Amino acid sequence: MPGSLAFYHPTTLEDAIGLLGEHGDEAKVVAGATALTILMRQRLVAPSALVSLGSIPGLDRIEEVDGSLRIGAMVRHRDVELSQIVRARIPVLAETFGKVANVRVRNAATVGGVLAESDYASDPPAVFVALDAEVEVRGPNGERTIPARDFFVAFYETALEPDEIVTGIVVPVPAAGSGTSYHKFVTRSSEDRPCVGVAALVRLAPDGSAADLRVAVGAAAETPQRFPDYEALGRGHVLSDDIVGRVADAYAGAIDTLDDMRGSAWYRTEMVRVWVRRAIESARDAAASGPAAH
Amino acid sequence: MTAADPSAPSTSPRPVDGEGKISLTLHVNGREEHLRARPHHTLLEVLRNELHLTGAREGCGVGMCGACTVLLDGRPISGCLLPAALAEGHELTTIEGLEGPNGELHPIQEAYVEHTGFQCSYCTPGFILTTKALLEERPDVSRDEAKAYLAGNLCRCGSYVKILDSVMDARDRLRGG
Ligand SMILES: Cc1cc2nc3c(=O)[nH]c(=O)nc-3n(C[C@H](O)[C@H](O)[C@H](O)COP(=O)(O)OP(=O)(O)OC[C@H]3O[C@@H](n4cnc5c(N)ncnc54)[C@H](O)[C@@H]3O)c2cc1C
Ligand code: FES
Ligand code: FES
Repeated sequence: MPGSLAFYHPTTLEDAIGLLGEHGDEAKVVAGATALTILMRQRLVAPSALVSLGSIPGLDRIEEVDGSLRIGAMVRHRDVELSQIVRARIPVLAETFGKVANVRVRNAATVGGVLAESDYASDPPAVFVALDAEVEVRGPNGERTIPARDFFVAFYETALEPDEIVTGIVVPVPAAGSGTSYHKFVTRSSEDRPCVGVAALVRLAPDGSAADLRVAVGAAAETPQRFPDYEALGRGHVLSDDIVGRVADAYAGAIDTLDDMRGSAWYRTEMVRVWVRRAIESARDAAASGPAAH
Repeated sequence: MTAADPSAPSTSPRPVDGEGKISLTLHVNGREEHLRARPHHTLLEVLRNELHLTGAREGCGVGMCGACTVLLDGRPISGCLLPAALAEGHELTTIEGLEGPNGELHPIQEAYVEHTGFQCSYCTPGFILTTKALLEERPDVSRDEAKAYLAGNLCRCGSYVKILDSVMDARDRLRGG
């Protein structure tokens, strides 16, 4: 039984950051609590202070700013899934958040929570990495932004300082002519976390070649994996079976896959090969048929 | 989610009494309930142990089964994953809140009874509340859509076919007025 737990409901970010500074390692931010409640129950963490972000106004907005969508840290997964503006501007984001867990978890879990938790087996991180999103962070010295690619550092570890709070994420709307995809491959049940998740973006040039190709693989290693050198194998080329296969083989070879109850390292490598190919094909086909391409 | 006492300073912890408990005000089934609980207690624990509303049950305790489903502002959540202190300021509905003023069953409950959409019924409150949220969101839901929406509610007796029959009948009852 935890000794004593001080529950704070700060009403400003400054106060929340001050509380984190004051309590140091003993304090935990709490957002949707879907991950934290389990960790506390299993005694994997035993904070003496919980700092809720729920009373701070303004963290639950989704807005379009300068060709990007800015999604606040306290926006719930299900609100991303159902958001009209997200569905219209970056549909793959709405689809991905809609594939997380079950409707109850999606009603509670927040965008800031999935980022800060940095669980290797979450779905949204790979999509954020593929879309070149930037995480907005606030600490005692003010604001900074961290590219999603650099934000996830290791298992359950991010680039956040202990007294920093994620305030939102800025996701650029893909340029005209782009197609995107996220494939979540599960091995146990339909609501399971991914064994492998692959996000891809393809932008087609007027001649049908790939002006842009981006691929991020989630759940296969400690952090989402992206390899610009192997993306370059497809850029400037028509994405034929041969070219797509080369990119998929390169990703399968490069990722030091992990072993868990959702799949062995060998199996994951083979699934990376399969799903990188399929994700690129889906994004390519979406780019070819999308209204933006014409 | 808002704190109980808006006048409390933003940087003070919630006061704790001699037993290590905090005071909570929850809005459950249209009533305001005042109670005390330890700060880490979940909504599920508080509903069952303090308010004696035992319709929400613990199955898995980790968000996977839906036996603990509660509607928070009309949306299903897992009571086992939410600290009770974060449920303040929201309208909560448990299965006990579905009956009419004279104890009549809700049309969704009637549909489940008529189709025997249960065997042991451990999962039933969670299924019925989730069905309610689903039909409010999508009054014309198809059987396949209902299947996908309810996929996160588990029934260990395997009553799924009859549960879906119940959901479709509930849809028709509610559409019919
Ligand atoms: C049954 C179940 C199934 C799941 N399945 C999936 C799945 O299929 N795919 C998937 O992607 N995820 C899945 N998840 C994970 C779920 O999405 C995460 O639990 C959720 O994203 C965490 O968000 P939260 O708001 O509840 O975070 P919390 O539990 O409140 O916090 C999580 C961590 O992040 C910190 N934190 C939270 N917000 C901030 C912030 N703004 N700034 C700094 N630190 C912060 C907290 O201190 C804590 O350490 C599943 C979870 C459950 C319980
Ligand atoms: S007991 Fe809460 S989801 Fe299973
Ligand atoms: S009826 Fe027994 S668990 Fe569903």
